[in-house]
Formats: sequence, C-alpha cells, structure tokens
Amino acid sequence: MKNLFSLFIILFSATIFAQDSTSTYKKRVLEAPEVDFLASYYSQDGENAAVSGGIGTEKLTDLTPTIVVAIPLNDDDVLTIDAGVSAYTSASSSNIDPFDSGQADPFVASSGASSSDVWFGGNINYSHSNDSRNDILSAKVSVSSEFDYFSFGFGGTYTKLFNEKNTEVSVHANVYLDTWKLLYPIELRESSNFIGLDKKNRNSYSLGFGFSQILSKKLQGMLSLDLVQQQGLLSTPFQRVYFSDSPDRFRQNFQLADDIERLPETRFKTAIGGRLNYFINEMFVLRTYYRYYFDDWGITSHTASVEVPIKITDKFTLYPSYRFYNQTAADYFYPYETALSSYEFYTSDYDLSEFSANQYGFGISYTDIFTKLKLANFGLKSVDLKYDYYKRDTGLHYSLISAGFKFIGN
Amino acid sequence: MKKTIILSSIFLLGFLNSCTVVKEYEKVNLNDPDMVLGDKPVDRFEINAQAYREAASGANGGKTGGGCGCN
Repeated sequence: MKNLFSLFIILFSATIFAQDSTSTYKKRVLEAPEVDFLASYYSQDGENAAVSGGIGTEKLTDLTPTIVVAIPLNDDDVLTIDAGVSAYTSASSSNIDPFDSGQADPFVASSGASSSDVWFGGNINYSHSNDSRNDILSAKVSVSSEFDYFSFGFGGTYTKLFNEKNTEVSVHANVYLDTWKLLYPIELRESSNFIGLDKKNRNSYSLGFGFSQILSKKLQGMLSLDLVQQQGLLSTPFQRVYFSDSPDRFRQNFQLADDIERLPETRFKTAIGGRLNYFINEMFVLRTYYRYYFDDWGITSHTASVEVPIKITDKFTLYPSYRFYNQTAADYFYPYETALSSYEFYTSDYDLSEFSANQYGFGISYTDIFTKLKLANFGLKSVDLKYDYYKRDTGLHYSLISAGFKFIGN
Repeated sequence: MKKTIILSSIFLLGFLNSCTVVKEYEKVNLNDPDMVLGDKPVDRFEINAQAYREAASGANGGKTGGGCGCN
C-alpha cells in the first residue's frame, strides 16, 4: 500500500510538472523591439495638371522620412507606432495662385505659399494574439494633417488561423473622418458669379475580407475583397475646369477658371485582389498579383504585377518587378475645354481619365539574421533599396527611390 | 451592386476550397521571407504613390480610401 501511495505521488508530481512546463512555455509574438527607418524620394512630371484644368505642368517632388517602432508589451501583445512626414513641392498646386510673382503660365511654377507643403501622419496599432496564436485582434487609430486637409481614422482587424495554420481568414473595418480647408483658385475667390462648396467633410468607410491558403509545400495564395463607401466632399476645391461654351479669359498667359471641378457626394468602390506566390527553388521566388476594381463613377481597372526575388548570396537578394495598370475614365471626366457649363458634374483631373500605365522596379536587399552591425542597443537586420519608374500613356511619369533600414533590439 | 454580389460570391467560394494540409515542419519554403503574402515595409511608398495617381484603390494592402486628398 505504501509503495502504491509512493508511486501515485511520483506520477501525480510528474503530471503537475508536465502541465507546468507546457503551460509556461509560449513563444512571444515579437521577440524584441523592432525599428524601421524608411524614406523615399519621389519626382513626377507631366502636362495635364488638374489645378489648371487639364493643361499645365505636373512637376512635383516629395521627400518622406518615416519611422515605425514595434514594441512587444508581453508575450501576446504588440504596440506599433508609425510616424512620418512628407515634404513636397508642387508646380501645379503653386498655380492655385499663379499671379504672385513673374509671368503667370500654367506650364511654369509659381513661387507662392501653395508651391510647397508638409504632410504629417501617424498611427498607433495595438494587436493581441491568443495563446494558440490562431486568433489575432488589432485596433488602429490614425491622424494626418496638411495645410488644407485633416484626417482622423480608426479601425480594427480580426484574423483567424485554422487547418494547422494552413488557412487564414481576416476581416477589417476602417473609418476615416476627413476635413478639407476650402481653398479655391485665386481668381474665383474674387468672382461674384462663383458658387462655393457647401461641404468640407469627407467620410470613408471600408470593409475588407481576406482569405489565404497554403496550396502546397511551395505554393500559397490569397484573395481579398474591399468595399469602400465615401461621402461628402469628394472633389478637390482648387482644381479648375474650363467649359467649351464659355469665352476664354486670360490674365497674362494664364487662363482664368470657368469653375472648379464638381463631383458627386457619394462613391462606392469595390476591389477584389489575388496573390499567388511560388517558391521555385533556393534562388528564385515568383510573386504575382492581380486586382480588379470598379466603382459607381464608371471607373473599372485592372492591375497585374509580377516580382521575381533572386537570392544571389545568403545575404543579398535582387527584386526585379513589373506592374501593369489600366483604368477607364470616370463618367464625369472631360479633357480641357470639352465640358459644358450645363453639366452637373465635371472634372479635368487626369487621375480620373482613361489611361494605361507601366511600372518597372528594381530593388536590392541585404539581410543579416545575426544582426552583427550594432547601433546602441539595436542590431541591423536588413537594408532595402528600391527604384521604381512609372509611365502613363497620357504622358505623366514618375521616379521613386525608396529605402528601409530595420533594426532589432538586443 | 449586382457586380459586387457576383464578385463577393466568387470570393466566398474560395473559403469552400480546402487544400492539402502542410505540416509545420514542411513549411521551410513557405516561411521564406519572400513568400510572405503581403508587401515589405519599403513598398509602402510605391502603394501610396499609386493611391494618389490612380483612381482605383483597395485590395492591395494599402489605403482603401480616406486619409489623404487623393482619389
């Protein structure tokens, strides 16, 4: 009896020990703090500026330094803070008031206050994973501000993994409450015939669904669906329109606006996208993406892209990529001097015109999983550099240089 | 609206398609950083530029409307 009792105690102790050891071990969602320093330089040119009614320079440069800090709060929770600045100079927006110095001309930048601006933006994201790491909840709050635009946003995402983490479904919802400062073309501010806008708010509500699936040991894919409802001021207050049935009026070389663009106060967008990634071998991966979009303004679009990461050494990877995009014109788009003053809605913004665009990209990435290079208490994990060249068949083209440095806390 | 319903239905059909289960120890290739079904942090600027210059946004992991004076 005594032996039996001893055996029971030993087995019971072993059970408790086993339970304790399994319940206390839990891999952290994020092992250590991570800091991403990101920056980009963007340079654009074209001859269809919306500010000057579809004609005029679209020259624009933009510098965007950004920092993203991810902090593990405990085994399950991660707080991510993302803050950035975008400092830009724009020849077209400088022509909101083209008469502030020199000869006014839609193809020449003006030097006034609207020739440059700084955008500030940031968001805080909090995510929680359950013990099995199969349920992830996250919530986000965002704020952004520039001279004539302020945005406040919030949203959340729920992600569920199952089927031994082979299948993942997610749903996300976001709300953006934006406010314009109504800034009209200078000549319309002085006009007694001009009727200003009565709304300055723009609200956007988006609902998205994601589904990803492992299809084999080398293949996985994803489908996503986004539904977006926008309402309020969906036009840009300082974008000019010239009517074909109104006499042309000039001051210097600059044609005075007949009106600003007028667009409906609601818009419903639907986008469905898919990704398919295939691990070809130790050197090559194939990444593909396709998206179909349509909205109730008459725009439909197709996007297709392919990227082939090439691992040239264990530390360096090359990223050649190609992207094709096309869209049909919005029902309310009219090129320079083709809209009639009797129409209810009109715009000469070529971002809403019919066009096709090709983008060629090339990136290089350096990764050191041992983070040997130290900076204070952080080790350099990776460096990414990328160049993209984008060209529309309407003439607009831009170059984008992006850089990213990821540091991991020790 | 009809188009939305049709596309949503096609999307939901994907949920019914259950594939072979790949075990954790067989995911070495799938766990390659380049196999991630999303964009790298450095890609955000490219997505942002496209959101400004193109009328269609959404379903690309980027902004889905709002937060900027873009289309």
